[in-house]
Amino acid sequence: MVSRTRYRLKQHHKFEQDDQKYVADLETGDIVQINDIEWEILSRYESQTHHQIVEALKKEYKLTAIFDGIERLERLGKQGLLLHPAVENVGGFCRGVSSRSSHPYTDRKPKLLVPFHFTKEKSALDYITNLNRYQSLTHLAEFAELETLAFQEEKKEDAQDLNEVRVRNISSTKSDPLMPPWYAMDGYDGILLLSQFLTDDLPYYRIRDVPIVHCIEGDQRLQHVLLRTLLTLYAFQSSKDTLVVKASWMKAWLAELGVPVENVRVIPDGIDIVEPTGDKALAKQHTAAIFGKSMFVEKPAVGLISGFEPNRGAAWISEFARTHPHLAIFVYDAMLAQHYQHPPENVIIFSVDDEETRAVLPVFFQALDLVCFPAMPGTPLPIVLEAMAFGAPCIAMTKYGMPPEVIGAGVAVEAEWDNFGNFHVPMVKLSETINQWLHPSDARTQCQGFAKEIVQRYTRKNAAQALIQVFEEGFQRRTDNFRTPRALFPPIFCRRYEPDTGTLRSSVYRLGTNRYDHLETALAEVLTEGHTPAEVVSVFKHFQRDSSTPVCEITRAGNGFPNNNTETNPK
Amino acid sequence: MIGFPKILHQLHLFEEEGVPYAADLDKARVVELSAVMIDILKLAETQTDDAIVETLSTSYQEDDISEAFERFAELEREGLLFNRGEDLEWSLATESKWRKLLVAIPGINVDSFFDIETLSAGTNMALAHMIQHLTKYADLHFMGSRNRKITDGVYEVDIGIGDLVRLRSKIAETYYGILTLHQEQDRWLLPLYQYPEFPPILVQNHAPRGHGGQAINSMLRHYAAMRDYDGFTAPSDYVRDFYSQYVWDPSFFNTLPNGVDATLFKPMEKMVAKREIAAEVGDDRIEEVRTVGYLSRVQSEKGASVYLKLAELNPHLIFLIAGPNMGRYASRKLPDNLVYVGFHPRERLPLIYNAFDVYCFMSMSGEETFGLTVLEAMACGVPPIVPNFDGVPSVVGDAGLVADAENFNHDVATLVSYPCPVDFSEKINLLLDDAETWLAFSQRARKRAVAFTWDKTARRIVQLFEGLHQKKKLVNPNRLLNVFTSTQPSEDDEQQRLKYKSLVLSMNAHYERCLMRDAAYPMSVEDGVALSILKNHTTREAEAILAALIPDETQARTTLKRVRGLIDGTA
Repeated sequence: MVSRTRYRLKQHHKFEQDDQKYVADLETGDIVQINDIEWEILSRYESQTHHQIVEALKKEYKLTAIFDGIERLERLGKQGLLLHPAVENVGGFCRGVSSRSSHPYTDRKPKLLVPFHFTKEKSALDYITNLNRYQSLTHLAEFAELETLAFQEEKKEDAQDLNEVRVRNISSTKSDPLMPPWYAMDGYDGILLLSQFLTDDLPYYRIRDVPIVHCIEGDQRLQHVLLRTLLTLYAFQSSKDTLVVKASWMKAWLAELGVPVENVRVIPDGIDIVEPTGDKALAKQHTAAIFGKSMFVEKPAVGLISGFEPNRGAAWISEFARTHPHLAIFVYDAMLAQHYQHPPENVIIFSVDDEETRAVLPVFFQALDLVCFPAMPGTPLPIVLEAMAFGAPCIAMTKYGMPPEVIGAGVAVEAEWDNFGNFHVPMVKLSETINQWLHPSDARTQCQGFAKEIVQRYTRKNAAQALIQVFEEGFQRRTDNFRTPRALFPPIFCRRYEPDTGTLRSSVYRLGTNRYDHLETALAEVLTEGHTPAEVVSVFKHFQRDSSTPVCEITRAGNGFPNNNTETNPK
Repeated sequence: MIGFPKILHQLHLFEEEGVPYAADLDKARVVELSAVMIDILKLAETQTDDAIVETLSTSYQEDDISEAFERFAELEREGLLFNRGEDLEWSLATESKWRKLLVAIPGINVDSFFDIETLSAGTNMALAHMIQHLTKYADLHFMGSRNRKITDGVYEVDIGIGDLVRLRSKIAETYYGILTLHQEQDRWLLPLYQYPEFPPILVQNHAPRGHGGQAINSMLRHYAAMRDYDGFTAPSDYVRDFYSQYVWDPSFFNTLPNGVDATLFKPMEKMVAKREIAAEVGDDRIEEVRTVGYLSRVQSEKGASVYLKLAELNPHLIFLIAGPNMGRYASRKLPDNLVYVGFHPRERLPLIYNAFDVYCFMSMSGEETFGLTVLEAMACGVPPIVPNFDGVPSVVGDAGLVADAENFNHDVATLVSYPCPVDFSEKINLLLDDAETWLAFSQRARKRAVAFTWDKTARRIVQLFEGLHQKKKLVNPNRLLNVFTSTQPSEDDEQQRLKYKSLVLSMNAHYERCLMRDAAYPMSVEDGVALSILKNHTTREAEAILAALIPDETQARTTLKRVRGLIDGTA
């Protein structure tokens, strides 16, 4: 959804005569009669944000009347009266949302709104993603001021500040006609959305000018809604907004589906660097002891960081285990750990569900000789990286080539999967690769070294910095929104009678030029006023009768609507 | 010199950044002034040019004063600052409860409406009658170039086409409606529909088709651009029915029948009339033989060629032609029984009609929606014969005969029908062969004609404006937000192509939550496009777009109805 154009007040003069209020635009020489609210709005327009204007006037006037007033003035602005569309020369956060109030910020941390329901229990893991949100925000707080919202209806004790995240109490309740965007409209340099549930956060996309970064987990539990979620979020984004996914294969997947990925960034969650607790032999002994499985001492240990669609994952793991009876297999899989009661003998399935189990994880990882993972949504990249932290090379089962995150530290085996969880990997090839890599070799030694380096790179601090960088970029792109051209010659969509045939066809007539124009061009133009380019492309793709023809530059498209492909595709 | 003292427009003088300005509230324009100009304006209403020069000569250079006079002269030519004509403020102020209509018919001399003799076209004649009767129900303010009273309740006001947009608030305050005329070559009206402020605009339409489709296309443009509370009038139901083929909402076409002055047009002793005409043209046959009449311009479009054939087919009757001249037919050898009776002023028309035993109306042009002469002939007790074509039969009802006509499914040149000479001929003889039949038709004709009064027409106009005000109350600016998005390919789609949908958000542009529960509801792309278009465009424009996008018209209409309902229901 595209932000609306922001306006700057022109040189004007307000006056009253015979109980009527007027404002004169001294640049065009026009006089516009205005009402009391518009009078008040004009007095504040230059120095206050919309939010401040509404806050200041809402006691005296009805909200809708205030919005109507702003809307009317901005409509006049669109016609060139009283307001100029503002093209701001923005450089960064320091001239951010508060630019019009001319605060002399030169160097400060950006202020981010993180509207997420944080629990007071700081060590608790998110029940969907098994992540500790609080922990990653702690790192983010080094680079940004963070604020979250607490609503009046929520319990009082929840509304205390967390250490790194300030809590702003909102006096209205959620059911108030003023939805979340309302209190988020003002004073933030960015909004960080963490919720994986669409309905929670969509309203924030209505906020103009403020870059939004939405972080999407490729979690297993979300797999059935993941694609839908991503596609929907993508539709909501304007050019200032960014979708952050946690692994490169998520982005590759979206690109494969035909979703443009300009505003998709890959920022793997950082990991806490784990210091080795002893040597590998010792770790293997501990692992064997903890699980009561001597195979971890006797056989080569292979880790499988899963993330499969559960039903098919269980089948695949059991096939994998049967094909590799000579291996001790350590599976990390959040859902199977819970539900897969009787895996094959040589398989241990494990998942972290609290800080205590998390604390023993490094022991298991240190026991591994090789880390295998399917590069697909559902596979938690941080776990892969943590597992590699002790130097185990990796085998990526991948559709999109070796994931950039682990290049140099292992090898890829080509795999296939589709949107419905079907996963295929040539088992023979996989076995060969595993067996080859379990033998000591120069390549293996090199990879072991590289695995450790990679782990150094994906720190929580780096992830936090990358996130801030994404906000900064979104802020730059924000300027694009001001350049939406307004129609000099407003289109009127109408039907056109053709006397030769006595039939009607739809067309568009332009005021000013007083002639008919291409319907598609005008439709694209009108849709662009309220929708992102991606949305407009969606509309045109939908109506393209022959889907094999690509949607080219729709604004240069030919006559009529796409009944005739030769016309819709510019040569 | 400029000719002070002068009445000034309503002015507000002010200074901004040291520059003096005058805000001309009558013209909604700001004019930059100089110090001397301000001082002159202070004296302008009371002193003469010389007195002003003398008063100011002590404070200003003579050059500056004369320069100021020159500048004032320029401004006056532009219609600014000085009241052109009488000060009409009293009429606006004292009768404020009395409804005022702004009559906007550019390019027509206002005075001609009050001097009917100067009018020839039926359209203008009808307008003139309508206007005269309308003054019983509302004051009429004709747009013009000066302020003056024309007659009781009729004024010319100093508002030009170029002033309309700037003065829209004032016009909205002052006028109950704007009455205008559809003229397909006019370009001034179409842009005005963009402004919600204007009071309802009622567009009189007299020519539903013709001119190679231009009339239909112009009408379709107006139909698309009009606000929900504007409308067309047309003299017969025919136009509404005609346009029902081309538009989805024929309610924009309202029947406004013409009237007839039944005290002027009345039956008289037929022999007296015939004798007088016979004497005038020097042809005794008029007294002796039964007569058929034609009163119109003598052109193909008006059926003159067919009328000639009728004369040839009926040598036993006399065929009279009344019209400005015989046009191109003058150089032909005409049938012996065809007699040109000349062109007559309005007050003599009853005499001409009374000299006809039957009246033939044979227009073939695409502009006949009513046939005012038919009604006048009927009022004189002359039974009419009209072709079965367009709006005319509905005027005749059972008071005349309807002859066959070949109606074309679309225009050919300027013709849209061909009246059948044989059938006309039979019907003429049918009426004239039997005195009793003739008498019955004659009496019915008079009885039916007197029911069409100009007073009814005038009252209907007021009623239509009232109806438009009702429609205005139903308008709501509800802008529900929506986005377009891709959606997951279905499992059986082998190519795994993305499909598209729209999501309607539970929120409008005012951040009000207008739907219960979910934040977003899925809808089809078609519905979404309708929703997006209706934010800033009319329902009729959405009609044109949906007609292009959805091949099945029934489905397209259903889509529009559903989305319109959603918008209005959540307002």
